[in-house]
Amino acid sequence: MPGAPTMRQIEELMRCDRIVAGGFFGNDIRPLEEIVQADAATLKALKATSDQLAQRMKALRDLGLPYLGNTVAAGEGLEVRIDENRGTLICPFGDGTRHFKTITHCRRLADGRQRRWSDLNIHLIEAHGFFEGQGCAFRLEPADLVELLLLR
Amino acid sequence: MSETVQEWAGDVRPAVVGTCQVDVNRSTRRFAAQAGQPLLKALERQNIFIPSACGGRGICRQCKVKVLQGGGAPSPVEINRLSPADLEAGVRLACQLQLQQDLQIEIDPELLTIRDYAAVVQEITTLTHDIRRFQLRLIEPKMLRFRPGQYMQLYVPIYPGSSDPINRSYSIASDPVRANRVDFIIRRVLNGTSTTFCFDYLRSADALHLSGPYGDFRLSDGASDILFIAGGSGMAPIQSMLHQMKNTHSQRKTTFLFGGNTVRDIFMLEEMRQFEKDLPNFRFIPIVANVDAGDTWTGERGLVTEAVKRLVQPGPALEAYLCGSPGMIDATVAVLARKGMSDERIFFDKFS
Repeated sequence: MPGAPTMRQIEELMRCDRIVAGGFFGNDIRPLEEIVQADAATLKALKATSDQLAQRMKALRDLGLPYLGNTVAAGEGLEVRIDENRGTLICPFGDGTRHFKTITHCRRLADGRQRRWSDLNIHLIEAHGFFEGQGCAFRLEPADLVELLLLR
Repeated sequence: MSETVQEWAGDVRPAVVGTCQVDVNRSTRRFAAQAGQPLLKALERQNIFIPSACGGRGICRQCKVKVLQGGGAPSPVEINRLSPADLEAGVRLACQLQLQQDLQIEIDPELLTIRDYAAVVQEITTLTHDIRRFQLRLIEPKMLRFRPGQYMQLYVPIYPGSSDPINRSYSIASDPVRANRVDFIIRRVLNGTSTTFCFDYLRSADALHLSGPYGDFRLSDGASDILFIAGGSGMAPIQSMLHQMKNTHSQRKTTFLFGGNTVRDIFMLEEMRQFEKDLPNFRFIPIVANVDAGDTWTGERGLVTEAVKRLVQPGPALEAYLCGSPGMIDATVAVLARKGMSDERIFFDKFS
């Protein structure tokens, strides 16, 4: 689409830390498209979709939100806690969306395994299939999420 | 405008040499600016600061201005980013609008009072495990006029590990009478670009730059009863409003519900108790959601929303001022609405 940011512009913004400290790539030197394609392939192999994950992540966030920072049982052996900060983050893909600085902490009671994701993570996965680069503080491993959240 | 249009080698956009006249808010401000530069930069050079968060990349859409005359056709980036209604109304992105001809624009009049400030860090105080107060002394200009509830943008320079300077907004916590001082109450954000700088690199006596004041979150002028509700760094604008009330010898009946998840999230108790002494009708009620077995907490317990249900009886004269995380604000607004408070009497600063 004319005027839409080019992949180069998006990558440039993602590799700097105008939006989040350290950017969205961590120490991953692969191009954006390659990262997205590799994660999509992982999901396909697991017969899962980014949309399924995003919906589950949203549902867990929504379950925890009313408890304002307190841990709550989320069923299926999980508990969640929501941590919120003031302000918003823009989507680095330039789609014009803004996302609250809401972080969902999810813990599996059986083994104590914990994962966390931001509202921007959910959007990046749902709208762009992007799980962030390797080494990034908010990188989410698709296979890991599938196992934890979709029980596969 | 005086102009010479040239072609830049390797760039499809015509370069314009010369100056343009920029008229802001129907001649409230007029200035000559070098053609060929983005309007956002030209305005900044005149100390007119339009909020922007993406470094002029046309992504954040914060730098909207209304063009009354001139400006040429919107760029493809603007067509992509702005709504049809905005484009129809002449709205443009100041970071994308290249000055090529004389221009008349309209901006929020309050933006014309915004200035750039040089400051130095006077003191950094740890308030909780993840919240600190940063006291800044203004150097040039030496005085800031603001209304309690407003915020400043902090310019965060490049620091070890960062790649770009950025700016972020923080509510002013200080007393408006002490015009040479700006206090911020900042909570560390996981992976936050600005808070990493503030918590890990900023030291006493360091120099900083700010712009502001921005925002329209403020106390009404009336005599209505007041309900403040805040959590975490949402304390900042409320503290400034309390200073204002003290300075004006306010008699308004005021209750401040301040929520924290644990006892260690509650701070500034002494300052609040002092306000209770200074303001005859002020009551501070800290609320802790999770009290550990070893804590000696004797105050209110539970979620702040539960405390609102329990403690607030909104009469027709009550105004509520909320500041905190979006979830806390949304949940509290819902509770207040269920208690019959109308939207017009609920004010909040979601900082979005």
